[in-house]
Amino acid sequence: MNPLSHQDIEELLGAYALDAVDESEANEIEFHLRDCPRCRSMVAEFRDTASHLASGHGPAPVAVWDAIIGDLDAGEHRGFNLAPVIPLRRRWPIRAISGIAAAAVIAISGLTVQAISQGNRLREMEATIQDRGILSAALSAMANPDARQVELRSADGVVFANVVITADGTGFLRRESLNPLPDDRTYQLWAVTGTGLISAGVLGPNPDVVPFQMAGEIIGFAVTEEIAGGVVTSQNQPIATGLIVNA
Amino acid sequence: MEDMKLVSDASLVVAIGRWQQDALAEAYRRHSGSVFALARGVLRTSAMAEEVVQEIFMRLWNSPERFDPERGSLRSWLLAQAHGRAIDLVRADNSRRRREERDYQRAAIAEYDIQTEVEHVIVAEHIRDAMSSLNDGERQAIELAYFGGHTYRQVATMLGEPEGTIKSRIRSGLVGLRQGLVRAGIEQL
Repeated sequence: MNPLSHQDIEELLGAYALDAVDESEANEIEFHLRDCPRCRSMVAEFRDTASHLASGHGPAPVAVWDAIIGDLDAGEHRGFNLAPVIPLRRRWPIRAISGIAAAAVIAISGLTVQAISQGNRLREMEATIQDRGILSAALSAMANPDARQVELRSADGVVFANVVITADGTGFLRRESLNPLPDDRTYQLWAVTGTGLISAGVLGPNPDVVPFQMAGEIIGFAVTEEIAGGVVTSQNQPIATGLIVNA
Repeated sequence: MEDMKLVSDASLVVAIGRWQQDALAEAYRRHSGSVFALARGVLRTSAMAEEVVQEIFMRLWNSPERFDPERGSLRSWLLAQAHGRAIDLVRADNSRRRREERDYQRAAIAEYDIQTEVEHVIVAEHIRDAMSSLNDGERQAIELAYFGGHTYRQVATMLGEPEGTIKSRIRSGLVGLRQGLVRAGIEQL
């Protein structure tokens, strides 16, 4: 099947906004929306219009709120995954990961990397949680006009995670569709620089919103699957990659 | 403590990210009615609609970062989530659909009666006027797609129309509906 043209997609946006397209069409449209603010705006407008068909109601049945409170009291709440960051205390040759090989060179040189000890960072993070919460901090980073954001996609275009990084190197990875791994495996985040790949942290087997700290000139990110505890040098194909596009 | 009734939807989501239950309660107060009405409109049963409402607001509680204020309002996001979930349930229940779609198709052709479920008279009246301004083909296509859970291809087959015609009717119907809501002061350009 030939890819949909921009005109084909525009004709489908009304149906897409009503969840009335096939899965393959939906995937193509979602990929297109990533880079087309005009079409995104049209979809938002169509959805907003359709939402008025359900307008003018009082609250939902009281029993529903009671059930939600029951879930909250039972501890049905998000948990935090604090990623232990692998301290980088020396330079070493980094093996290029295929898929982003065009953007990576094996040797790292002249690169400034902040080594963060796990103990100090966790204490910082715990303080952050007490004050604001990781999710709140991530939301704030997303709203920061100077922050850079990138979608990490698989080879077939599925968004596995989103990364946001602020000017001071504070970053957050938010899972979109990463499947949980067994306890003996972990996801690992890599920062793509002009001269190589640097580990940005071990994400754990089932990450949700994960903070990290990374300095230097970063042009993208990649996620690999590794043994528990992470690796210094990855031998694996990345499961998701994304390059930062400057606005 | 901040009065949640006075804060914006975006601020409510930030507060929910800080585990503030009163923020979730306020979001529920503002939007649960519309979410429930939409889910019931699609699923045709209150029990399943209640489950969708619970799931969507727990989704908001557990993953507030999924809401992107730059992509639309919280209300639109909640309703899109609810609609998607309700459609998934409808499409997974083929036998119930086949039984009900015949009734729903007759209703879509015969008259627009969704306003019977709307409690807010003024808004309901404006929506009725906006929907009435659409032609039968546009209104029927939107009803079958949005509330019937059908893809545009399925609607085309059901109505014996070309797929391109149904795509156009859905699109022009939504544009027409929006123009009607703008005229009524419910939406802005």
